Amino acid sequence: MPRPTNSDLPQPPKGPLRTAFDFLSGFGLATILLLILGLLTWFATLEQIDHGLYPTLRKYFDWREWYVLPDFSWLDWWPKIGGNPLTFPLPGGYWTCALLLVNMTLGGVIRIRKGWKSVGNLIAHFGIIFMLVAGGVAHHYSERGNMAVGEGAESNVAEDYFEYVVEVAEIVDGKPDKVLVIRGDRIEGLTDGASRVFRFPDLPFDVEVAGYLENCVPVSVNERAPAGERVVDDFYLMEKPGEKNAEANTAGCYARVLERDGSKGDPFILAGASFHPFTLKHGDRVFTVDMRKRLWAMPFTVRLDEFDARFHPGTMKPAKFISHITRIEDGHEAPVVIQMNEPMRYEGLTFFQASYGPPGAMPGQKMYSVFEIVRNPADKWPEYSLYIVSFGMLVTFLTKLGGFVVTSTRKRSNHA
Amino acid sequence: MPDSSSKVGRVIALVLAVLAVAGLFSYLLIENMPKGSLRTVPGYAAWSEETLQLAETLPIQDGGRVKPLSTYAGFAMLGMHGARSMKIADDKGAKIKLTPTAWMLDALVRPMLAIEQPTFRIDNSKVLEAIGVEPRGRRDRYSYKDLEAGREKLGELAQTYAPIDAKERDPVQTQIVDLETNVRSYESLLGYFAFARNGITLVGSGKEGQPDSRANVSAVMMMAPEIQKQLQQSQHGGGMNPNLRGLLDQVLEVANYSRAGLPILPPFGGEKGSWRNAGAAIMQVMSGEDANAAETIADIEVMESFARHNPGEEAAFRTDLATLRERIITRAEAAGESKHVELEASYFRRNWFLNAMVFFLVGTITALAMWTAGRHSLGQWFSWTTLGFTLAGLACCVAAITTRCIIMERPPVGNLYDTIIFIASSVVAFALIVEWLVRRRFALGIAPVLGLLLIILARRYEVGDAKDHLDPLVAVLDSNFWLTIHVITITLGYSAGLLSAFLSTGYVFLRGFGLIGGDQNLRRSLTRAVYGMLCLTLFLSLVGTVLGGIWANYSWGRFWGWDPKENGALLIVLWTLAILHARLGGYLREWGLHLASVFTAVVVTFSWWHVNFLGVGLHNYGFTSGKGAIWAFYAAMLGVLGFGVFAMVLSRRSKPGRMPS
Repeated sequence: MPRPTNSDLPQPPKGPLRTAFDFLSGFGLATILLLILGLLTWFATLEQIDHGLYPTLRKYFDWREWYVLPDFSWLDWWPKIGGNPLTFPLPGGYWTCALLLVNMTLGGVIRIRKGWKSVGNLIAHFGIIFMLVAGGVAHHYSERGNMAVGEGAESNVAEDYFEYVVEVAEIVDGKPDKVLVIRGDRIEGLTDGASRVFRFPDLPFDVEVAGYLENCVPVSVNERAPAGERVVDDFYLMEKPGEKNAEANTAGCYARVLERDGSKGDPFILAGASFHPFTLKHGDRVFTVDMRKRLWAMPFTVRLDEFDARFHPGTMKPAKFISHITRIEDGHEAPVVIQMNEPMRYEGLTFFQASYGPPGAMPGQKMYSVFEIVRNPADKWPEYSLYIVSFGMLVTFLTKLGGFVVTSTRKRSNHA
Repeated sequence: MPDSSSKVGRVIALVLAVLAVAGLFSYLLIENMPKGSLRTVPGYAAWSEETLQLAETLPIQDGGRVKPLSTYAGFAMLGMHGARSMKIADDKGAKIKLTPTAWMLDALVRPMLAIEQPTFRIDNSKVLEAIGVEPRGRRDRYSYKDLEAGREKLGELAQTYAPIDAKERDPVQTQIVDLETNVRSYESLLGYFAFARNGITLVGSGKEGQPDSRANVSAVMMMAPEIQKQLQQSQHGGGMNPNLRGLLDQVLEVANYSRAGLPILPPFGGEKGSWRNAGAAIMQVMSGEDANAAETIADIEVMESFARHNPGEEAAFRTDLATLRERIITRAEAAGESKHVELEASYFRRNWFLNAMVFFLVGTITALAMWTAGRHSLGQWFSWTTLGFTLAGLACCVAAITTRCIIMERPPVGNLYDTIIFIASSVVAFALIVEWLVRRRFALGIAPVLGLLLIILARRYEVGDAKDHLDPLVAVLDSNFWLTIHVITITLGYSAGLLSAFLSTGYVFLRGFGLIGGDQNLRRSLTRAVYGMLCLTLFLSLVGTVLGGIWANYSWGRFWGWDPKENGALLIVLWTLAILHARLGGYLREWGLHLASVFTAVVVTFSWWHVNFLGVGLHNYGFTSGKGAIWAFYAAMLGVLGFGVFAMVLSRRSKPGRMPS
């Protein structure tokens, strides 16, 4: 008579916490989340063709999106309802990843059987968790921008790719004195009639911002009649659909000055597409208010000594782009070479060779070089996690392979 | 002993397999056979082997590197003719097979014979109708002379269609634009040595009704300083000798014919840089911009000499060709630029991949025989034969890839063509390793079949693309370290994924047709092999993807850019992870694992090929044609999947009361 095993014995009922733990740490949830993540990745890959990368990523993987509705308009034969392609909801990518992180921690680290056979898997799960955390840190805390410097010129600021800010500055001796900045995350939500007052203790007035548009241009009413938009000084902001290349978006908003006595100034338009800032006089003092992409200061100055664009002979196929720069910090100068695959990493910032110009420059013409500048606290974390994952998977794979070879050999010798 | 149903199934499978191989063989034959009837080229005499060998290794700078003329000619011929060889007949009806070098030599120095050769492959007779040329059939090959009547119309139509976005053009418009480009390239070859053949007319030199005499361009080039002096005087109000003006105009005109393509003249003094074609060299001497004018004139003199020989003077032609080659090689070697020219010429001469294809084809046939014969001694003999042919095919692939690495001075995978031949080799190698571990003659039989299919894909892609895939890489890819560890790892991941999918396809057919009989061991072995390959796919894809992210972070400052190629690799990782987790959780048993594994082929194909068609991202190759083949492949794999589901349901129904395994 066979001995009863544990599974044959009556099991005590599970409590709700245990049930939740089993569910959250289970293979079933892992499988479903992986499939959902695969679907989201696939849809996002196809959707970026028509909608551009940045808007697609915002739709699929932003933390504000709890669910997404994939767009099937690229499939001609897909059924439509009321002219719109039929769709279905999927969980947002950010939250799917977050749940996967929970699942992996509970299932792949806590619940997993601990033993020599599973040590590889345990290490690999640790590595993946670390990688997801690195992705989260980079997503929330990294900064990216670019710096264009001409040969012989210097720069110590980078311009953000996407973030539009409002800058208020007092003009003293023809130059902006102290520049006060309203960050993008404070104004991006001011759509559909919402407004916000920004108080500046250093200024004799406050600024009210409203009617933020992600991509727009100021248009004269004489040029084109407004379709219900707010008109200011015979101009209004005409909204445009988001550019496929989101860097090309030009944001805009309406603003007005609020005096300390409670009176309100006339509204004015701030637009990223404008060439000049709005100028206002306050008594004898002159101020400018501008909307532009955020500038961030570098802890050192960069001078471009020489830019060298090399092409494979007889072609326009790029072979090497090399920027010879001097890094100037506290009066000390250090020569550095930045080129493709050889960035400069210094003080938590990384300078990459991104682009150059002018296109089709003639020999002897002064060139400029464009650097992509990144500050990412998790810069090297994916690399470290790769070492961990690879080691873990290698251990698992070799263990399995060893077992397979031993079993096969034993079976063959038994057959013989 | 196999049961009777297994025997019947085996016969059915054999018939189907033989039909498939026969279909494939016929397709290959049709694709590689010249279209249309054999063309007679009056007065044609074949080049001697000696001349061709000399010409093959003439260095030329093209696509950013120095390569042998045979490579340049091969891809030019592939682009225009759709094949690397051409058959014609001479006056006596004897068949002559033209190599790319022979074809190019004809175009360069025997243009009157060349224009009779069926150089242009036209796949749609509507193209000919559009330009007013009488078509011979739907698909055929035409000579320059055949198309001459429609040349003007062809130019007009191409000018109309060229501005239309490639994706928006219809196939006929695209073919018209392509044909015009090809015809223009061919015209530049025909006219390249026009300056040498015709020389310059000395206007007014003919006395008493005699025609004007002619002079060499090189002779006029020697007068360049005097012509420049006169030219400067004329610009300052002084007159210019009308004869000199006439000479200058003529030289510039003939030089114009040699200014497109074929840069065969290296810089002097061991300097690296852009090579010049004859036209540019003539222009630079005439404008006084050439610091080595005397040497350049000597180059032009040699060209004049060898381009004027008549067909009967091949020995003298060869002597002049050797002189020109010597001059070029001496300068190229001084700059260290021609070290792999001989090796590359021999690489294309050896035709490694054609040999590999033949070995894999024979291996496929012996594999079918092996499976049919079963585990008898004949089957054993066929298994060794299959192994031999498969190893021979693999050896050809490895030799070819190694030679390419030496020529390119970089790791084996740098473009899409490289991935195909690398995957062909690695899939075969993986299959043989699986066979070594499992010893069920199953992976062994799959190996030559996959090798054959992938080599055919490589050849089709090469013909369609007609580009030299040995050319150097763009700046951002110029990192042998990352090309080695990231690209090779990810490509090996594709190989492992494809192999697991095809092993599972075999499983589906074996069980679907009842060929597996009661052989539980074979089923288990296959399942374990597929599980192992999926683990390997995950390992390689995950590591390769993360390595790509690290490279991207190193080069561009971002670990992940949501580029379609990156996403494709991530999809493979997610899919294999989902399969393995579902397997561990008990959601996928034997059938489920194999069906999921079959779908892996779809995911791999999306990542490897489909994303290149999307037109976005850093890995966008700008493809506009060939997507139909991808959808056909998806349909085929989904067909296998559907058949598998059907077979699974049937097999479960046939075992009432038993839990499906």
